[in-house]
Amino acid sequence: MKPHPTPPKWADRFLIWFCSEELLEEIQGDLHEAFLYRYHKHGRTTANRLFIADVFRFFKPYAFEKYSRAKQFLPMYNNYFKIAIRNILHRKSFTGINLLGLTIGVSAVMLIGLYLHHELTYDRDTPAADRIYRLMNNYRAQTYSSMYFADYNDSAPEVQLRLLDYLRGQDAVEAAAHFVPSQSAIGGGGQFYVAFDNRRFVAENALFTNSGASFQEIFPQEFIMGTPEEAFYGFNKIILTESLAERWFGGNWSDQALIGKALTIEDEVFALAGVVADVPGNRHYDFDFIIHQKSIPSWGAYTYLKLNPGVDPARMIGQLNADVDKIYPGYTEDELSKGITAVALPDIHFTEGTLYELKPVARPAYLTTFALVALVILLIIWTNYTNLSVAMYADRQKEMGMRKVLGARPRDISFQLLTEAVLLALLCLPFCWMIIYTLLPHFNELMALELSTGLSYQPLTLLAMLGLLLITGLFSGLYPALAYGRRPSLRLFGKPAGKPVAGRFFNFRNVLLTGQFMMVVGLLSITWYIYQQMEYVRTKDLGYQREGIIYFNIDGAEKYTKLKTALERLPEIRSVGANGVPGSEMYNQLTYKMQDTEVTLSDGTDQYMDYGSLKTLGIRCEACQALEAGKERVFVINRTAAEKLARIKGVSPEELVGETLITEPEWENEEFGFGVPHVIDGIIDDFKYFSLKYPNQSHLLTVSAEPGWAYEMLVRAETDQWSATISKIAAAYETVESVRPFDFNFLEDRLEQLYTDERRSGILMGSLSLVAIILALMGLAGIVSYIAYGRQKEIGIRKVLGASAGSILWTFNREFTLLMAVATVIALPLSMLLAAKWLEGFAFRIVPQFWVVLLSGTGALILVMLLVSIQARKAALKQPVEVLRSE
Amino acid sequence: MIKSVLIFLLIYSTSIEQMQGLGYLEETVLLLIMMMDEEAYGFSVSQAYEEHMGKSISISAIHAVMSRLEKKGLIESFMGGATAERGGRRKRIFQATAAGKAVIAEIKASRQKLWNLIPDLR
Repeated sequence: MKPHPTPPKWADRFLIWFCSEELLEEIQGDLHEAFLYRYHKHGRTTANRLFIADVFRFFKPYAFEKYSRAKQFLPMYNNYFKIAIRNILHRKSFTGINLLGLTIGVSAVMLIGLYLHHELTYDRDTPAADRIYRLMNNYRAQTYSSMYFADYNDSAPEVQLRLLDYLRGQDAVEAAAHFVPSQSAIGGGGQFYVAFDNRRFVAENALFTNSGASFQEIFPQEFIMGTPEEAFYGFNKIILTESLAERWFGGNWSDQALIGKALTIEDEVFALAGVVADVPGNRHYDFDFIIHQKSIPSWGAYTYLKLNPGVDPARMIGQLNADVDKIYPGYTEDELSKGITAVALPDIHFTEGTLYELKPVARPAYLTTFALVALVILLIIWTNYTNLSVAMYADRQKEMGMRKVLGARPRDISFQLLTEAVLLALLCLPFCWMIIYTLLPHFNELMALELSTGLSYQPLTLLAMLGLLLITGLFSGLYPALAYGRRPSLRLFGKPAGKPVAGRFFNFRNVLLTGQFMMVVGLLSITWYIYQQMEYVRTKDLGYQREGIIYFNIDGAEKYTKLKTALERLPEIRSVGANGVPGSEMYNQLTYKMQDTEVTLSDGTDQYMDYGSLKTLGIRCEACQALEAGKERVFVINRTAAEKLARIKGVSPEELVGETLITEPEWENEEFGFGVPHVIDGIIDDFKYFSLKYPNQSHLLTVSAEPGWAYEMLVRAETDQWSATISKIAAAYETVESVRPFDFNFLEDRLEQLYTDERRSGILMGSLSLVAIILALMGLAGIVSYIAYGRQKEIGIRKVLGASAGSILWTFNREFTLLMAVATVIALPLSMLLAAKWLEGFAFRIVPQFWVVLLSGTGALILVMLLVSIQARKAALKQPVEVLRSE
Repeated sequence: MIKSVLIFLLIYSTSIEQMQGLGYLEETVLLLIMMMDEEAYGFSVSQAYEEHMGKSISISAIHAVMSRLEKKGLIESFMGGATAERGGRRKRIFQATAAGKAVIAEIKASRQKLWNLIPDLR
């Protein structure tokens, strides 16, 4: 007999795969019969086509129904949901603890997620970000994030463009642009007085560029008013951001004819040429307005180039270094110039150690730490759910046993338990959303971010939140689902409620609890270490006084001298000085050597201050007493520099006094030949001028009796009424200065600002450990209350036999005390290691002490014991007759 | 849940009035099944439908209708013989139940009543 023609195999297999067993035989039979009928009538092609179409027509829920016709009245999925909802409503404390835990935990994780997303997407949505590079100049031992102009401050507009002209002439380069934000280290800072329509405004955050069209090409700004082509055509144009336009022209700015309006900034007229959207927070640059002018008011500029697709950046930079003398005459002969390098745009935010960086960079170690903490919190949530459900399911075992007896398969039980977990997790969605919405502004303030609360509306955020909750639900329900699904029904009936799942001490629940305790102790200890380091930084002897000192800017020595005379008449003013305010970021270093040695050092920090500043800061300097005897200036070096130089020379540091030191020996000049000679008048103790993150620097300090020039002032006062003193100082200031407003700050605050990032991470870490502790304690509370419930009878019998309430509480506490001890022992090396890693960022730091971990462990243990005792108290105090009478 | 309650009511009440929620396609298929008498299964019903109604219908649509009718208790089924064309697979043969026949009769009666009331045809 000839075999029948057969329909397409894959379609047939697909049918077998999705179709329920009960329905398969008849459906497949019908389809095969139809196939054969059509095959003879219309031929193979049509029959195949119709067969496939038919198979897909069966691909619908009707054919999936995996239960037999007899059970059709029992819609299983409905039942799962019904049981899940009943359980959620019935076990209110369990549901409450879980909901609260999941909500707090998932919200915390979401916030960390938003933060990490913000940091990791820096500059990434700039089009073709991977083809954009920033040039960096290496000079002495430092890398400058900006390039200089060939004649520095004296550069004519054409000279300023020399580098760009060269770059634009290269085939590999698509565009090249310069810009300088006014708030950058090379931008001069300050405020701008903008006048128009007889009104005056103060503005900050200008972005100067002399190559606007290229700037727009590399960093496209979204124009809301005007067009980029016209805005950057020609110079003396000003382009505002949306929020600045709103501030200056009111909410209806977009209805006004602003384009072409004349704005005067300090005697120069600019034409308003456009309004662009605000700069998003995750850009490495920022501005309130762009000034497009022929000449950038600085000695250099941040320089960017966009390469053509497929160009090797290393080759381009190599070519630039080969031709560098054309741009900077004598560059290659200058032995201090170490060549030009480039950093890719997306890497700028993660490149540490460049000088004059525009925004604080992200430290990958911090980001990793936060991601880890988020993971820890997730683990705690999962563990909580798992532990709680294991404890709770103990008295639902009979239900599951009954289900199995009635024919439920293991996967039915698993599916039901998973449904409950996922449903519970999804219930948190609105609460999480609310928490994030409320917390985001505070979080922004803490972390100095600009995450918009609008983010929480974004479908992507909601989707991420949903996904996180779903995964959390699935993971949380996994263990109970698998464990109870597999357990034989007889054992489900036999087990009394409340007993540990297994008799061993290190059963699944206790392992999870130990892990939780460990993470809690670890987080607590690390927070403590961070706090200790911050205190250390705050109170460390810096080698000068920082209390009771304010500082402010002053325009020139003449005004300084006048103001100083006026201030010294005030009784509460102790001393006044010019220049040398500590606590700045590191700046450019210079080379120096002893006159009679060959070795040149390149890490010198030169400083100028007048004798008044030295006295205000209380820096001890015996050599400086010569200033009071009429000497004009004194040159001293600090101990770090002295030791380095003495080692080279082979003498003791003290013997350097009276010798000649030469700064910038490579600089050929008419006056001294090479460099500038200084006779060392004395050696002073090291003082911490910069952040304690850096080791002691070599300071070359020139102290003068009267300052030749002055740009900042230090004033020390002894007073209980600072506001009165400051208004007196301000009044005196206004008698000598009429243009610049009085803008002061406390030195202590400035020094604290050096550690803003560290303090922020400390606070975040502290808050997250708090969240972790609350979550862990909540989980524990749930477990203990279920254990106590399950052990009611046992406790009753113990009491009848004479046990006291105290001894019963101890039976509860014993186990957790032991777990906590184990957890502390494991956490000890881990947290000390992690703390040491964090402390590596500081040159001056505390040594992590082991007692901190022990104390954290003890503290956590006390909390746990307190909680366990409160939870178990009811069981321990109950009259035995109440629990025993049923038998 | 509401659906299962309704089905429950449909099955356990003998009142024919409550069974009258019968769609046009359901009625046709039910009629075809009664007509074919013990030869009604998915493929054959779809063939008969095409033959008598002059329209084609997919086998899955027939299956869906028949399973609905079965849920309503209007037809019942048993596994019939296997044939070579079906690769040795058995057919599920459908038959109208007493309730099904009653519903059809009721529909016919009520229709007839209406027919009789149309003036032109009298």
